[in-house]
Amino acid sequence: MDRRRFIKVVGFCSLFVHGWLRELLAAQGPMVSVAQGANHAETTRRAIAALGGMQRFVKPGQTVVVKPNIGWDRAPEYAATSNPIVVRTVVEECLKSGAKKVKVFDRTCNDPRRCYRNSGIEAALKGMPNVEVKHLEEERYRKVFLNGRALKECELYGEALSADVYINLPVAKHHSLSGLTLGMKNVMGIMGGNRGSIHKHINQALADVNAVFKSHLTIIDATRILTAHGPQGGSLADVRVLNKIIASTDIVAADAYATTLFGLKPSDIAVTRTAYRRGLGEMNLEKMRIVHA
Amino acid sequence: MKKITSARVSQLFFLALFLVSFLMTEYRGSDRIAAAVNGFFRANPLTAASTMLAAREYVPLLLPGLLMLVLALFPGRFFCGWICPLGTILDLATGKIRKVGPLRALQGNLKYWLLLPLLAAALFQVNLAGVLDPIALLLRALTFFFHPLLGETVRGGWKSLYGMIGDRRDLLDPGYHLLRDYLLPFRETLYPLAFLSALLFFLILFLERYERRSWCRRLCPLGTLLGLVSRLGPLRRVPAKLCPDCRGCRELCPTSFDQELLQTEECILCMECASNCPSKRARFSFRFRNYRLSQGAMMERRVLLGGLLSGFVVARTFRFRDPEQQALLLRPPGVRSEKEFLKKCVRCGECMKLCLRSALYPAFLQAGVEGIYTPMLMPRLGYCEYNCTLCGQVCPTGAIPDLAASAKQREVIGKAVLDKNHCIPFAKRTDCIVCEEHCPIPQKAIRSETVELIGFDGSRVRVKQPYVVDELCNGCGICENVCPLEGKGGIRICALKDRTPLREPSDTPPVATIT
Repeated sequence: MDRRRFIKVVGFCSLFVHGWLRELLAAQGPMVSVAQGANHAETTRRAIAALGGMQRFVKPGQTVVVKPNIGWDRAPEYAATSNPIVVRTVVEECLKSGAKKVKVFDRTCNDPRRCYRNSGIEAALKGMPNVEVKHLEEERYRKVFLNGRALKECELYGEALSADVYINLPVAKHHSLSGLTLGMKNVMGIMGGNRGSIHKHINQALADVNAVFKSHLTIIDATRILTAHGPQGGSLADVRVLNKIIASTDIVAADAYATTLFGLKPSDIAVTRTAYRRGLGEMNLEKMRIVHA
Repeated sequence: MKKITSARVSQLFFLALFLVSFLMTEYRGSDRIAAAVNGFFRANPLTAASTMLAAREYVPLLLPGLLMLVLALFPGRFFCGWICPLGTILDLATGKIRKVGPLRALQGNLKYWLLLPLLAAALFQVNLAGVLDPIALLLRALTFFFHPLLGETVRGGWKSLYGMIGDRRDLLDPGYHLLRDYLLPFRETLYPLAFLSALLFFLILFLERYERRSWCRRLCPLGTLLGLVSRLGPLRRVPAKLCPDCRGCRELCPTSFDQELLQTEECILCMECASNCPSKRARFSFRFRNYRLSQGAMMERRVLLGGLLSGFVVARTFRFRDPEQQALLLRPPGVRSEKEFLKKCVRCGECMKLCLRSALYPAFLQAGVEGIYTPMLMPRLGYCEYNCTLCGQVCPTGAIPDLAASAKQREVIGKAVLDKNHCIPFAKRTDCIVCEEHCPIPQKAIRSETVELIGFDGSRVRVKQPYVVDELCNGCGICENVCPLEGKGGIRICALKDRTPLREPSDTPPVATIT
C-alpha cells in the first residue's frame, strides 16, 4: 500500500468512524457535581470539592473573575439574581486557593447601583480583602473576533478577557425567549454593545460567544429557582426552593443538568441543543458523570 | 478679600449647604433620600406664594416659605444678604468684574413688571414663578450644565488615561472612586435647555458689570417680593439718609444707597454700613412706637394694574398645545393630572437631577410655552425604575407625590403601544422579546404568543410576538428604552388622560390592618 492509497483509505474510513471516534474521545464524559443542602455555603463548598476543589482551577497568584447574575433590582429571595451566600462562598474558595484578586461584576439591566445593592451581592462581599465589586466601565470593552454563525465579532469586557480564571455563576431561572437562562446565557453579562439585538438569533449567538470565550468553571445556583415570568420574576409564587448547587467544567453539561430541575429535557432548550450540536459540550445526561456530592 | 463679617460667614455656610445638598440629591444606595436641596425651595417665599395661589390651597410642605415671608416683616431682605446662594456667588464674583455704571433700562419699575405678572398668572392657575426664581435658576444651571460638564470632563480624562496606560490605571481607582461616588453625576446625561440655563446664569453674572448685585436689586422677583414685605416692617436704618458730613455709605452699600435715601426694599441687611461707619452713627433698629411706613419710591398704580393685567395675559395666551406632542408627554410617576401638576411644579429641576435612570428631562415647548422647564419622561433615553421613589421624595411642592414603592408601582405614567410596522417579530418575523424580558411587572404587562409564520426566506418559523396587557402596564417605559431597534422603537409609551392607578396585584391580597 503506498502512501497515497493509505491516506485515501483512512480518509474514507473516517467518514464512518466519525460518531464512534467522538464516543471514544468523550468516553470519560464531563463530570457534573450536584450538591443539596439548606446551608448554602456548605453546599457550595461540597459541589466544588466534588470536582476536585477550587485549587484545581485557581492557582496561587492568579486573577479570578466570578460572574454572578446581578441583572435585576430584586431581593435575593425572588431568584432573579445569584444567591449572595453562594457568591461569597465561591469568592472565599478562590481566595483560599491563593487568588491574588477576585473581581465580581455584571452588566445589569436595571440601574447598576440598585442591582448591586438589592441583590445583596455587594453587601455580601463588602470588606473582603483582594475582592473588587465594580461597576462596568465602557472603555474596558474590547472587540473580539468570533467568526461565528450569527456573530462575526462582539465586544467583551476586558477584565473578563484578561482574567486567569473565569467562573460563571448564574442563577437557574425561566426566560421568556430562551426557555431558561443558565450558564450559557449568563455570559451575556460580559458582552457590550446592543445586547438586545442578538435576541434575533440568540441560540447561535450564544454558541458563538461561548465557543470563543470559555468559562473555566460553571456553578449554577439552584438554591431557589424562578419557574415563570423570568428572567426578572417579582412574585414569590414563581419561586421554588431546591437548595441545590450544580458545578461542572462543561458549561453545556451544567446547563443540561439544571434543565431537569424544571421538569424539562435538556434538548427542550434550544440554546443547549445548539451548543451541543456545535460541540461545545455534552448534553446527554447518560453520558455525564453526575456526582451527588 | 473683604473683612469677615457674620453676614459673610452665614452666606458661605448656606452656599456650602446648598452645594452639598445638591450633591446629596442623588441615589446613594438608600431608598430614602437623607437630605436634598429641596429645603431651599420649601423655604422660598416666592415659590411658596406662587404655588399656593395657583393651587388655591394651603400646601403644608411649603410652610417654611410662608414663615420666611412673615419673617421678612422684621429683618427685611436678610434672605438676600445672608442666605441666597446666588447672591453669595455674585458677591464672591463681583470683585473680579469691572463696573461700567448702572444701566438705565434696568432702573425703575422693571422688577415689578417681572414679579407682578408672575404672581398674577398664579391667580389664574399658571405657576410660573420658578422660571425666574433665583434658586431655581442656579439649580438648573448646575443640574443641566455645570454638573454634567464636570462629569463629562473628569470621566473623559479618566477614559483617555485608560487608553494611555491600560489596566495600570487600576492603581488610581480609589481616588477616582471617591470622586465618582461623591462629586460626579453617576451617568453622563445631556440635557435639553442646558444652553438656556447656562445663559441665564451667565447673564445674571454679566449684569454685575453695571453695578453690584444688579440682578438682586433690579430684577430678582424673589428679592422684590421680600422687599415689598419688608417695607411694611418696623426695622429701620438710622439715619435713613446719607449723612451730609460723610456720605461713606454710598461706597459701602452693595445695593440701595446710590440715592440720598436708603431704599429699604433693596437693603439686604449685609450690615456693611453699620460695621464700617467711622462715627458709629449708622445702625439698624426696630421702631415699633410711632411706626410709619418707610419712605422711598414705590410703584405707581399703573404699574400695579399693568403688572396684574399682563399676568392675566401671560396666563391666558400661552395655552396652546400641539396634540402630537401631547400624545408623548409623559410626567413623572404619581402625577395623575396635567393641570394639577402645572399648578404645583416650580421647575426647580431636582427630580431631573436625581432621576437614577436619567429618564426625566426639562420640557422646552412640548408642554406648551407655559410648561417650559417642567420635567417629562423620555423613555428612549431612560425609564422609570420600578422600585425607585426618589423623585417624589425630593419634589419641594408635592407636585410629584411622595409615595411608597408599592403605591408608585401602580401609578400609571402612560401605556405601552406596539408599532407592528417596526417591532421585529412582526416586521421581520424573527424573535426578539427583549421588551417582555425587561417588563418589571411580576405578572408581566408585556406577554408573547408563539405563532407559526412563513419567514421572508420562505421557511416555516415559530416566532414569539409580544402584546401588551393594558390592565397591568404602568408605562414605566423600560420596554421602549431597551427595544433593540435603533431610531424609532417598536414599542412606545403614549400619554393618557385617565391615569387611574393599577389595581392591587391579585396574588398579594391587601394586608388587613389591626386596629
